[in-house]
Amino acid sequence: MTLQLKNLAKRYGDSVVFSNVSLDVAPGEFVAIVGESGVGKSTLLNCMAGLDSWDQGSVTLMGQELGSLPDDQRALLRRQHVGFVFQAFHVLPHLDVAQNIALPLLLLNKPDDARVQALLDAVGLQGLGARLPQQLSGGQLQRVAIARALVHRPGLLLADEPTGNLDPTTAAKVMDALIAQTREHGASLVLVTHSEAAAARADRVLHLSFDGIKG
Amino acid sequence: MASKASAVATGSMDLILKLLRQLSWRELIHHPWRNLAAVVAVMLGVALAFSVHLINASALSEFSQAVRSVNGQPDLELRAAQGTFDEAVFERVANHPQVAVASPVLELASYAVTEAGKRTALRILGVDALVVARVAPALMPVPDRPPNDGATGGADSANRFAIFTPGFVFLNATARQNIEGMASFKLQSGLQLLGVKVAGSVNTGGAALAVMDIAAAQELFDKRGQLSRIDVRLSPGADRAAFVQSLQLPPGITATEPGDDAQRVSNLSRAYRVNLTVLALVALFTGAFLVFSVLSLSVAKRAQQFALLGVLGLTGRERLALVMAESALLGLVGSATGIALGTALAALALRLLGGDLGGGYFAGIAPSLQFDAGAALVYGALGVAASLVGGWWPARAAQKLPPAQTLKGLGAAPAQDGAHWFSVALIAAGALLALSPPVFGIPLAAYVSVALLLVGGITALPWLIALLYDQVGKAPTLATACAALPPEGAELARGGPSLRSWVAKHLLVMLAVERARRVRESAAVAVSGVVASLSLAVALTVMVASFRDSVTQWLNVVLPADLYMRTAAPSGAGGSGDTVYFTPEFVQAMRQVRGVARVSTLRTTTLLLSASQPAVALIARDLTDPAAALPLVGAALPTPPGHVAIYVSEAMVDLYGARPGTVFKPLGTVFSQSFNPPGQQIRGAVAIDSIAPFYVAGVWRDYARQFGAITIGQQDFERLTGDQRVNDLGLWLAPGAVSSEVEQAVRGQAERLAGAGALIEFASTSQIRAISLKIFDRSFAVTYWLQGVAIAIGLFGVAASFSAQVLSRRKEFGLLAHLGLTRRQILTVVAGEGAAWTLIGSIAGLGLGLAVAVVLVHVVNPQSFHWTMDLVLPWLRLLGLCAAVVAAGTATAWLAGRAAAGKDAVLAVKEDW
Repeated sequence: MTLQLKNLAKRYGDSVVFSNVSLDVAPGEFVAIVGESGVGKSTLLNCMAGLDSWDQGSVTLMGQELGSLPDDQRALLRRQHVGFVFQAFHVLPHLDVAQNIALPLLLLNKPDDARVQALLDAVGLQGLGARLPQQLSGGQLQRVAIARALVHRPGLLLADEPTGNLDPTTAAKVMDALIAQTREHGASLVLVTHSEAAAARADRVLHLSFDGIKG
Repeated sequence: MASKASAVATGSMDLILKLLRQLSWRELIHHPWRNLAAVVAVMLGVALAFSVHLINASALSEFSQAVRSVNGQPDLELRAAQGTFDEAVFERVANHPQVAVASPVLELASYAVTEAGKRTALRILGVDALVVARVAPALMPVPDRPPNDGATGGADSANRFAIFTPGFVFLNATARQNIEGMASFKLQSGLQLLGVKVAGSVNTGGAALAVMDIAAAQELFDKRGQLSRIDVRLSPGADRAAFVQSLQLPPGITATEPGDDAQRVSNLSRAYRVNLTVLALVALFTGAFLVFSVLSLSVAKRAQQFALLGVLGLTGRERLALVMAESALLGLVGSATGIALGTALAALALRLLGGDLGGGYFAGIAPSLQFDAGAALVYGALGVAASLVGGWWPARAAQKLPPAQTLKGLGAAPAQDGAHWFSVALIAAGALLALSPPVFGIPLAAYVSVALLLVGGITALPWLIALLYDQVGKAPTLATACAALPPEGAELARGGPSLRSWVAKHLLVMLAVERARRVRESAAVAVSGVVASLSLAVALTVMVASFRDSVTQWLNVVLPADLYMRTAAPSGAGGSGDTVYFTPEFVQAMRQVRGVARVSTLRTTTLLLSASQPAVALIARDLTDPAAALPLVGAALPTPPGHVAIYVSEAMVDLYGARPGTVFKPLGTVFSQSFNPPGQQIRGAVAIDSIAPFYVAGVWRDYARQFGAITIGQQDFERLTGDQRVNDLGLWLAPGAVSSEVEQAVRGQAERLAGAGALIEFASTSQIRAISLKIFDRSFAVTYWLQGVAIAIGLFGVAASFSAQVLSRRKEFGLLAHLGLTRRQILTVVAGEGAAWTLIGSIAGLGLGLAVAVVLVHVVNPQSFHWTMDLVLPWLRLLGLCAAVVAAGTATAWLAGRAAAGKDAVLAVKEDW
């Protein structure tokens, strides 16, 4: 399994965010998580990446139980095996597009210009590698984020409302690029979204609520 | 396993360097001025400290070299504790079987007076030309070649015999320069001028020096049968200690090792040099603070970038390493340029000021720059270390930021409690260290105490701020508080607003209070700049004011007369007091001058009480009423019958243990042997038992002589030594007498008596006071400059911190704008927070500064210079300083807010970052 959640529960004080969340994500599988606002979809995603803590249950990523790992170990695991796409694009303003995409490779100390170029081509940003983020549109920026999330061939891609800031037409194109690239790389994709259209393209759609997650 | 760990470390370092190149470098060049300010601050700190070190080291080296060339390379020096000793000792030493060479020396300090009346200090050495070259080759007189060299062999040999001829002197380069190359000049002895001819030169550096035949010098200066020292070279294999013991030297003669002179100069100036270096390091401390401010701002601005890197897998430790690498880079550049600038500054200072930075220890020498690579590395490392210390807290912030929360713009988690105990421990350790004694005569523990107080106080700020704002947040309602009051009080309070509810109802205030409560670290960062700079400024202001006030009071006591006259600079290291003086007849004549109501006298000579310490001053003066004549610390003690009262300066207590109420034996030893009035045969050794014990009847403050002074009644001194010479006269003017007319009359009388009218120097009390305070102010001018720099850096820190916070709150401001707040209202919030925080910072800075001032005044100064002072708090100036800082801090915050709360802040709610 790429990712395994067992009876995961999260609280803020007395207030339950989610509970009894169990989930297996197989290699190459595309899972969409939907639910009302405030049920903890983003928090669940953060728990999957070891960015947030949980009160009960376990998270196993690439065979490693995250609860037993210190923060630095979780960071190293994330560096190697996880890619992130956010609703906001979070592209570094002082780096050009190619440098932004190459960031994960830089962290892994595996510079690979050809790989960066290939991803630029794959997400439809041919010839834009030298541009600064300020010179790109929202849709293009999200493609940069997708390329950055996949450049180091992660086993798991976590996407948090990746089309939330985009118009429907651009959103559809970005989803096309995201799904196509994820499939091509054989990565698993966990997508948190409010978009029914985006969720409809997943292998499985799960509904998150306060008392658990249901298929 | 070890190789795996090493590979991981290497890989991590590799990664940090790559990130430094790819990410940090762009950030650094994106804000060149801000980062340049940090680099310049480190550079200035390193440059100041390193230049002070180079100047002092060059001067000390030059001075030691000059001492070595004048003293030569003897195995031992036999030296008089005071003045001179009987030359009969020489015969005993020269004939000792273990002595290879013995070179007698008569050492005098006087003045050279040229035909044109130019008067300059001159050291005179009487030597035996037949032996001096074997011990001190540099002192060997070299006759000038006559102009017709070769044509008349008679003139040449006459010049060679000048070495033994009375009235001929051989000068070093400085002395030749002082007499402007003249062939003859005059030497001052008492108030007489004695003509001498220049016959050649000696190859010694340093201050002006004249060498002449020892018998001629004894004759010329009325020192027949007297020597100042004997330089001894022992036969091979001789035991030094056994030799000294076998000589059975009289009590007034000490045997010292070569190098003791240089060591004494080193000791003399050590505390002064260390203090200057510490003062220079204060600049480095402010440099560290600027690095802290710049990197705090930089990390705050890049919080989301660091968060993204964290999400992508950059560990907290690697984020910390990245920011530390940035601070190391700033420190490296600052240190390298600082070393270069410091070297240039030192070269310039040595050229313009010689080796003397104001302490007067190295006056009269012209040292060349001696670059010290080892010291450059140490000071460079200090610069990098200061920068790393400044970068540590921002680096920890980058390490600890929660990536997911920060990416959402929710900021850091609340700070952990408990850190304040660390601050309390630092402050307590600082207070304890302030009570520790000096180490090797340097107040090292006190310096560490000051550092701990500053760091402890600054790190306690988050806790103090939380404490204060929590009180505001948790303040009981007025109604609750008044519930316990009598019915009428409760009635009065009923329905009244509580502080808490008042805060809650006022949006702008509530925003400021809640932010300060919940984001206390950022408030502390802003405030710490004010605290650090203000505490330094307050401490220096209080110390300088206390010192100045004490010096003013001291001058009032030590300058009771209307007019002072002398014919030589005060004796001390120069020791001219025994060569240049007034005779009793001259003093009597001055009493008869019209317009002079009363004359007081002062006889000053020097005593070498310890081979490892500089000479102390012995001052003989009228002590009928010691409490009025001396600036006593405490009351004068009644002198027991059969004792001679002496009053010692504070340094004597510290350095020689001369405590009030005890008998000071070392003085009795010196008196038993050493004092030989001019024109009289050397007295035989006086049995110590025949001299009444010297009783320490009081301690007085002396800001003129750092290494000790002893005051004795004029009558006692004359009775014990037979010496009636005086060096300074104080004149009380008769009612209606005009100072300038009295001066003219005195000069006329001196001219009639000894033809010495031109040799008299006059100064009125007001002139001496004005000159003294001017010198004082000039010496401390650097502290005002440092205060200015500290305040500027503190305000820069406030600006940087507020800019960082305002930038991080752009979305908050945008939201407030969406909610209908005007830009003016938003700026009011920012300026209000700025005022409140800098006010808290000012109060904390004032308190901390006063604590540091107490350590400086009551510990650092007495331990460094062996004098105390009264703590004076110039409240008006201190409050003005605080008010200026609060006003400047508020304005800075407002300006920072203006930049970030512009129209585009409305758009910030939509921005990525």
